[in-house]
Amino acid sequence: MEKYKYVIVGGGVAGFTAAETLRQKDVSATIAVINSEPYALYSRVMLSKPDFFLGKIPFDKVWMRGQDWYEKNNITFFGSKTAASLDADKKIVKLSDGSELGYEKLLIATGVCARKWGIPGSEREGVYYLRTIDDGKKIMEAIKSAKRAVTIGGGFISFEMADLFALAKIDTSVVIRENYFWEPTLDEASGKMIEKVLTGSGVKIINNAEVQEVVGENKVEGIVLKDGRKIECDMVICGIGVACDFNWFASSGIKTNRGILADEYLQTNLPDVWTAGDIAEYNDLLLEENIQLGNWVNAHEQGRIAGLNMAGVHEPFKFVSFYTTQGMGISVAFVGDTRPGQDRIIIKRGYPEINSYARIIIVGKELVGATLINRTSELSVIAKLIENNIDVSQKYKELEDPNFDLKGLLKTEVKIIQL
Amino acid sequence: MANQKEYIRNRADSNISKIIIDRDLCIGAASCIAVSGSTFELDNENKAVVIGADTADDETLKMAAESCPTKAILLFDKEGKQVYP
Repeated sequence: MEKYKYVIVGGGVAGFTAAETLRQKDVSATIAVINSEPYALYSRVMLSKPDFFLGKIPFDKVWMRGQDWYEKNNITFFGSKTAASLDADKKIVKLSDGSELGYEKLLIATGVCARKWGIPGSEREGVYYLRTIDDGKKIMEAIKSAKRAVTIGGGFISFEMADLFALAKIDTSVVIRENYFWEPTLDEASGKMIEKVLTGSGVKIINNAEVQEVVGENKVEGIVLKDGRKIECDMVICGIGVACDFNWFASSGIKTNRGILADEYLQTNLPDVWTAGDIAEYNDLLLEENIQLGNWVNAHEQGRIAGLNMAGVHEPFKFVSFYTTQGMGISVAFVGDTRPGQDRIIIKRGYPEINSYARIIIVGKELVGATLINRTSELSVIAKLIENNIDVSQKYKELEDPNFDLKGLLKTEVKIIQL
Repeated sequence: MANQKEYIRNRADSNISKIIIDRDLCIGAASCIAVSGSTFELDNENKAVVIGADTADDETLKMAAESCPTKAILLFDKEGKQVYP
């Protein structure tokens, strides 16, 4: 059996950044990375961007580092391999091909999978998910001949794919189960702003609708909604969320909830086992609860922190997460904790009518999150306000004033808690 | 590409003298801000802009550029040679 000081399961941005960090901290350590895909790191973020699909950004830009990066850095790369089981007592990861790897320290950074659509006909050719570069290539090929497309779901996959289809002059419908786009993370006013730009680009929005069945001879020819309406299409993009695969480590004794549970150092309940990225449900020091996030920036930062902790540097993960998207002349950003809840005070900043609208989310005296439409310039300062636990309870007037420079709140306020 | 914005860096202990942001490539993923919030910010078009060319050391700046999922941040040394990507 081969033994490594560090074994990393997952070669996405979290696993890769951990490997890179470990190599910097420990130049001679044996490191192995197991990746279900054959590739070195690529930009998953790029996969849903219209400019990339339409060739405005050259395809090769998708590769973050050379394919020989692992070799150059003396890291053993197990491409196209998955982990099949974990024995945390003996410290062994068994791979799908039967081989076994011993570890001193293990990182689980396998990410999440696109949630499969369970409805009749969804296995038909022409139904696509978007998670891996191979998924992306299939969609790139399909749009060359597609005339009509449907996207399922009111989130960012649907938003960016609808933008792409509109640019590619494909007749597009978006089917949303909710009342409006991005419900309930956004309020209705924000959701309608997004719907307005979509419809302005020729995209049809079908709200409050669920798909009953995907129909067609062999290939997709259309979808039938539960209310009986039929929409003809050549392709369907399914963006209905993500799911985690817990099977391979289920018997190891590792604690899970929606993701793998970890403390603020991204360490799990098992000795010498860490987790990072989309699959990690960690103790967030800023929110004081366990949360799980799925975005590039978060996975990158967690990979770095997990790597540092595995190398013996004791550093907690303390980070205000954010992600953004744009298209059709609108930009949307989510900062910090944007989950809806009864305990939240929402301050509206700007107006849909002026095409510039933010929602500042407050719990108690502190800002916890924000959603920004065409106000991405405020992302950084809001992240800092959250990170520094600034008391904003007397500042609602300033927060409501779309012309007030939020940086003013950073300077004058007294911090409630000194972390 | 045409839509590039240049920022001159004048830091004594630095080998990097210029930062370019390619606005056509930038998608506002904001990873650069996560790594070096004193250097980068987004504007309202969701594109990265440099707010402090001299605030970060070379290692942090390079890490920020390397974290960009579209390689929209270009770094140049004092001889004008591109050092990343």
